[in-house]
Amino acid sequence: MSEDPYAILGVKREATQDEIRSAYRRLAKQLHPDLNPGDKKAEEKFKQVSGAYDIIGDPDKRGRFDRGEIDASGAERPRERYYRDFHTADAQDHAYANAGGFADFMEGDDILADILGRGSGQTRFRMRGPDMHFRLPVEFTEVVNGATKRITLPDGGTLDVVIPAGTRDQQVLRLRGKGAAGIGGGPPGDALVEVEVRPHPLFTRKDDDIHIELPISLPEAVLGAKLDVPTPTGPVRMTVPKGANTGRVLRLRGKGVGRRDGSRGDEYVTLKIVLPEQLDPEIEEFARRWQAGQRHDPRRGLEV
Amino acid sequence: MISRQEFLVRARIEHQTLEGWMAAGWIIPPQTEPEVAFADVDLARAQLIHDLRDDLGVNDEGIAVILHLIDQVHGLRRSMQHLLEEMREAGPGTE
Repeated sequence: MSEDPYAILGVKREATQDEIRSAYRRLAKQLHPDLNPGDKKAEEKFKQVSGAYDIIGDPDKRGRFDRGEIDASGAERPRERYYRDFHTADAQDHAYANAGGFADFMEGDDILADILGRGSGQTRFRMRGPDMHFRLPVEFTEVVNGATKRITLPDGGTLDVVIPAGTRDQQVLRLRGKGAAGIGGGPPGDALVEVEVRPHPLFTRKDDDIHIELPISLPEAVLGAKLDVPTPTGPVRMTVPKGANTGRVLRLRGKGVGRRDGSRGDEYVTLKIVLPEQLDPEIEEFARRWQAGQRHDPRRGLEV
Repeated sequence: MISRQEFLVRARIEHQTLEGWMAAGWIIPPQTEPEVAFADVDLARAQLIHDLRDDLGVNDEGIAVILHLIDQVHGLRRSMQHLLEEMREAGPGTE
């Protein structure tokens, strides 16, 4: 510290000892680190002020300082830890912990009360029961349409879980009060159920929509057809227009995943023309003779 | 643990003073049998009482009030920290 101790305390050089002392007290009341538990800078400022007071608060040292026999350096008071340092989040519990400032908030049985209770050390009144975690495998169609599943608990009891339509893979459903029993009259914890959606061999899901690839035959593609398409709520008859190509996407409105408001997403059907495994001589003959087909270049525009 | 003798030296207080503070419940030693012993938190608290009384000019009545309020502020700060941690930990996908 090299600043002028008179300036630090904000007193004139001819101030009386009483004036110096009251100036110091006024600053210390503002700056003492234990009176400013959350202010990291308070400690540094307080050190300066108390260092200044150590010099000019003592008439003998003040005289030597005024005559230039000592300077203000090295005058900072060494200090062990402050009381506030024993109240950090990771500090050990001790007899001074006091929940009087928030005990009324803990009277509820909600999550807030639980968290506050955990922070209050030995003055804890009661404890909410712990949450219980489960994983629940469900079928693709069950999350699309919604379903109720039953979990068997370790103690032999059962828990019915309502899977709302539209539940996503790995989503966690919270069943309030279905966890372990509370301690000391506290409320029970929650059951947290992580939903694991099994993949479906035909359907894939994108948000609220369902996608499916539908194989069609060459005659169906060329001539058009009415086909039965699988949807999560059963097959639906769909018209494939004449000349439908591989990659063409048709939409079945309202055949997707159920939503909370009762509406549904759509199902998108991507057509894929599939030739028979054994080629017929007739079609080979047709392809050879088909002049327009020979001139058709589906790769036009792909040249690099 | 800190012995009574070491505590008096480090806190810069007299034996009588410490007895008074313990009787008032300002200092609560974690160990009393077979002999009294103190923790670091007790020492820091004694230094705070010392500062309040000698440097800030607080009288004994005021010290009791200040300690009580400071302990409540710390209780609130800890609860707030737990609350904030809990909020940060609460991951997405939970409803």
